[in-house]
Amino acid sequence: MEFEEMKKIWDAQNNQALFVLDENALHHRIQSKMNRGLHLASSTEWSLIIVYLFAGSLLIGLNSYKSGVNIFMFIEAAWMFATVVFIGINRMRRIKASRQFDRSLKGDLDFALSLSHYQLRLSQIINLNLIPMGAIMIFSGWEAGKLIKVGALMLISYALAYYVGNKGIQANKKRRSELEILKEKLETDN
Amino acid sequence: MTEKEQLAILHEWIRRNKGLIFKVVRAYATAHQEDLFQEIMIQIWNSIPSFRNDSSVTTWMYRIALNTAIKWVKKENKNSRYETLKPAHHLLQEIQEPEDERLDWLFREIYKLDKIDRSIFLLLLEGFSYREMSSILGISESNIGVKINRIKKQMIIKSKNYENHGI
Repeated sequence: MEFEEMKKIWDAQNNQALFVLDENALHHRIQSKMNRGLHLASSTEWSLIIVYLFAGSLLIGLNSYKSGVNIFMFIEAAWMFATVVFIGINRMRRIKASRQFDRSLKGDLDFALSLSHYQLRLSQIINLNLIPMGAIMIFSGWEAGKLIKVGALMLISYALAYYVGNKGIQANKKRRSELEILKEKLETDN
Repeated sequence: MTEKEQLAILHEWIRRNKGLIFKVVRAYATAHQEDLFQEIMIQIWNSIPSFRNDSSVTTWMYRIALNTAIKWVKKENKNSRYETLKPAHHLLQEIQEPEDERLDWLFREIYKLDKIDRSIFLLLLEGFSYREMSSILGISESNIGVKINRIKKQMIIKSKNYENHGI
């Protein structure tokens, strides 16, 4: 067979779909992504609630125990508790909103996408939340006369928290684009 | 670019070039075809904002698809050492309609080529010029020419064996 013959054989298949989409498998994949998203959203919320509650309580405890009250430590603790309330409200809203999706393939896909959007938004807000918290900590260090020590410690810990948070955001973006692709596949096939 | 616009562009690109991705998937993966398919789709999706109309959409999609497939094969080769058997839910199912046996043979032989030769031969069959191939694969035109001559000879010999002995 000469190359021209191979090219003819090749061209004959052009624009023919060589595969079809298996909707059951697609549904299965979407459900598994949805369950993973649910688990991730829930564990993120609980971890953040526990960490902020613990850190806020610790700040209040330490500040009350010490002589000489640092008002910025109390503001920081109050900010942390407010963040806990914010996460709690968002969690309740998320659970309530999840009831509006039906159990069809499209419903599950939309639910998985909404979870991914929620997770991404939450991660971004928590990352941004580090800025005011950091500022309050700097004021606190300044009031206590330990600006450099507190500032350096805060910078390291917040940079670390930002890095971890940002990794989560990137992973979430990837999952969201996977879901968008699945949606695209479904729409193209229908 | 909004996500909605990006999705509309992807929809249009896929509608026009659906066969392209399937061909690359079939040439580069025998197992886990849907994983490669999905990976290529994700990379194409991510590439949409950086598409500047310097080349045709088909050339652009081929560039993304082939580069993704080459990287994917490398990764798969590494991972296959640690792979465990788990139930697979295949997203893509091959259409079982009778196909030209020679096409099946052609795909099998393409799959046997090394990663870069595979890309070159696919692009050659698709009718891309040396210059386009060079821009897609990042290999000089003269090198492409040398490789094409070698691959063509190799494929013609194999086709003669196939026609004479069915192998």
